[in-house]
Amino acid sequence: MPTLIIDNQSVTVPEGTNVLEAAQQLGIVVPHFCYHEALGAVGACRVCAMLFIDGPVKGMQMSCMVEAKDGMVVSTEAPEAVAYRSQVIEWLMLNHPHDCPVCDEGGECQLQDMTVASGHSVRRYSGKKRTYQNQDLGPFIAHEMNRCIQCYRCVRTYQDYCGGTDYGVLGANQRLYFGRFRDGPLESPFAGNLVDICPTGVLTNKPYRFTSRFWDLQEALSVCPHCSLGCAVIPGARFRELQRVRAGVNPEVNGWFICDRGRFGYDYVNHPDRPRTPLLHGEELPWSEALEALQQRLSELIDRHGSDSIALLGSGRASLESNYLLRRLGEQLGTAAPVYGSHAARDRAARAVTDLAAKLSASLAEVRSSDLLLVMGADPLAEGPMLALAIRQAVRNGGRVMLCDPRPVELPCSAEHLPCQPQELPQLLRILAAGENLPANLQPLADALQQAKRPVLIGGSDLLGAEGSAALLAAAQKLNSAERPCRTMILLPETNSFGAALLAGDGPDFDQLLNDMDSGRIKALLCLEADPLTDCPDRKRLLQGLEQLEFLAVLDHLPSLTAKKADLLLPTTAVAEGAGTLVNNEGRMQAFAQVFSPGEPLRFTGQGGHPPRNFSSTTPGALPCQAWAVLAELCGLPVNLAEIRRELAAKEPRLAGLPELSAEGPGQRVLPGNGASSSVPPAVATADESLQLLVCETLYGSEPLSALSAPLDPVCPHPYVLLQELDAARLGIAADDLVQLTAGGQQLALPARLSSRMAEGLVIVPRLRGTELESFYPGQPPLPCRVEKVSTP
Amino acid sequence: MSELLPAEEIAELKRQIAAVHEPRELIVEVLQAVQQHHGWVPDAGVELAAKLLGLSPLQVDEVATFYDKIYRSPVGRKVIHVCDSICCWSRGAESVYRHLQQCLGIAPGETTSDGLFTLLPTCCLGACGEAPAMRIGDRLYGELTVERVDAILAEERQEAEV
Repeated sequence: MPTLIIDNQSVTVPEGTNVLEAAQQLGIVVPHFCYHEALGAVGACRVCAMLFIDGPVKGMQMSCMVEAKDGMVVSTEAPEAVAYRSQVIEWLMLNHPHDCPVCDEGGECQLQDMTVASGHSVRRYSGKKRTYQNQDLGPFIAHEMNRCIQCYRCVRTYQDYCGGTDYGVLGANQRLYFGRFRDGPLESPFAGNLVDICPTGVLTNKPYRFTSRFWDLQEALSVCPHCSLGCAVIPGARFRELQRVRAGVNPEVNGWFICDRGRFGYDYVNHPDRPRTPLLHGEELPWSEALEALQQRLSELIDRHGSDSIALLGSGRASLESNYLLRRLGEQLGTAAPVYGSHAARDRAARAVTDLAAKLSASLAEVRSSDLLLVMGADPLAEGPMLALAIRQAVRNGGRVMLCDPRPVELPCSAEHLPCQPQELPQLLRILAAGENLPANLQPLADALQQAKRPVLIGGSDLLGAEGSAALLAAAQKLNSAERPCRTMILLPETNSFGAALLAGDGPDFDQLLNDMDSGRIKALLCLEADPLTDCPDRKRLLQGLEQLEFLAVLDHLPSLTAKKADLLLPTTAVAEGAGTLVNNEGRMQAFAQVFSPGEPLRFTGQGGHPPRNFSSTTPGALPCQAWAVLAELCGLPVNLAEIRRELAAKEPRLAGLPELSAEGPGQRVLPGNGASSSVPPAVATADESLQLLVCETLYGSEPLSALSAPLDPVCPHPYVLLQELDAARLGIAADDLVQLTAGGQQLALPARLSSRMAEGLVIVPRLRGTELESFYPGQPPLPCRVEKVSTP
Repeated sequence: MSELLPAEEIAELKRQIAAVHEPRELIVEVLQAVQQHHGWVPDAGVELAAKLLGLSPLQVDEVATFYDKIYRSPVGRKVIHVCDSICCWSRGAESVYRHLQQCLGIAPGETTSDGLFTLLPTCCLGACGEAPAMRIGDRLYGELTVERVDAILAEERQEAEV
């Protein structure tokens, strides 16, 4: 731990820290552009110059390029250093336009800050400035090349960190151009990070363009709800509208970046059809009466049919606190424990994952530093995009990736594909879990596992199911030793799937609920931010069950199918409109803070023009309440989040750290479970003649919240069916042909896509909400299906 | 693509690309081959190179636009690169450059109306010992004076007419 002196202050920093970071630790503002925590230092921009007075190096040096060493004496304020930096910034500013008043970056512009910090305040250059033609970079990023200062951060982020190949730097010296080969949407699903990374207004957020100044936004530390990884995000709201999301920093999880689904999926919060008032049989009523009606209706039914006629349904979308209070409500009413999740197989898989001994659970940081990643039955770009980016960082650090999946899984880095038919995956898991020898065709995998020092086994609960997930955990346990740690990460379907599953324990699942509904025992169902009509794979049976109900109550912030059918609809808040806790897929509890209060966006109430002048004492659309607060009131508990967390921690020993949790910091792991039970995945019945239909999540269009976000509309795929090339050839089907898919009693006409990299005998359709494919559900064993050609395009 | 590169040349390039560890090594060679046949490298040439090399067009264009001897816009049959770097500048390159513009009747970056010459500045030809220097096609000319430039242009013109 070297100790050095910067500006007459002594500081001790870990080995390997550079002098720029050491100065920042002292709170000294050092101008910098090319240096970035996630990208490292390249010493190119020359504005972090400091005068090294004593120690191993002397003279003017770029502080980002010098490692802190004992005995260094450094000055940031020496007149030579100040003069140097101010000249460099003047050069950088030479061609920069004076358009800050109309630039979206204004107010949160690193170039503004650094120009001022470097002491350049008067422009002396009066010559012509270099100008460029901008490009159309697609729906997410606006391009304004004239503002560029050639720091190369965008290229280092897009190409090096994110693995994109369609955006880069063209030309040389005075005619540099940062852009694409020609106009067109950026291909990387991490392109949105260019907005955060560009130190000035070259690359800005297109959907957010010209909406707000940074200082007018309400912001708070939050957690991304669009997959189970729980990346840190900072949503920004204004005029009762969630206007944008930028990446937060959590070194243990996402690092400094987020994916485009997380960045542009926020608009569900502003959805015009969102429930905003309590409704009883379609009639608006005040909250007090709505709660009274709910209590009255429930107690009536309990009196008439007994307390087991009431069923409660929680979800992986609702916060830990809300889900807990639902259970608490059930205890008070004397009902059975809530069912957590409308998709029984997914719920069971999530519960298997929560059994994990916490020390075996890998964080994304551990994935980034792993030297062997075994990806089995997971499609990171679809099921948890930032995991794909973490895997890429492992590869950049010399790690290997081995993919074992019947689907044509894509990663933004090189990976070795192991041959894998659907039935081989459970077999492989069983062998690994039992510690047996791998078959000869998997020898490369056996060798890699032998040599690896920090392997991580990665899986996806949708394909693995409960048994497969348990087997993967057991395999990690088997491969883990004191000398050679082995970790595991399993992607779950929803943001709080882990938390909900943990509360579920060995309670009932949705299949049991369906049975009880069939038998006519259930008279009332209370859904907490759950949409069984969209998520339950047995919709027919569920519809029959719902018909028999006397009372359906729904608490939700989405205009869901179930919400539309509800007798009583109680509007709740979205993540950004409230506070609470989510548990990510590694079992990390993360608190999120309230960004803004709910209300109908001014954009709607003003009909796009001037804000409305009809005055009232209430805010339009401000009635949604935080679900946990509604439930606390129903339970007769004080509406106090801290108290609820204390109570929950006392009841659930694995959540012991909950009361100390804050929205700042990296979150806290739940305490270990019982350890993986080493159940063995059942061998999939080897294919008879028929094709097997697998339903898979996609990057855009599958996740329920972002599927309602208008900025993502341009990138949502249209329904298609994916066939293995050999199967297609056998069936006389070419790419783009219209084919008829027959499965599960349904017939759909879909365009065909072909892949050579997927398993034969398999047919894949994406889970696409709001399309004809909505009735096909992921997380299920493959369905027998038939595919026939209808016509050529 | 046939007018960009003949089939046998494409086959030869494919052989070379298959033999190297990292296809990026050969970006310049492939682009030069296109330029040799087509006179300059159009967008379709970049796309062809990208396809042969297994790279994205952007990755090829990053290299193509970096080098001033790879022409991404149409040029005359002979491209004149006049060095404007420090050594040549100190030995009178400016007057040579001015004279060339007058003689040819074009500004830097332009092509003569007969399509023979394109005039471009360049930053160092590695001929500092013979400054001021210029290059026409693959031929290097040093110790330039206004008189010598006239003679060189006449010779080059004559050669082109033959």
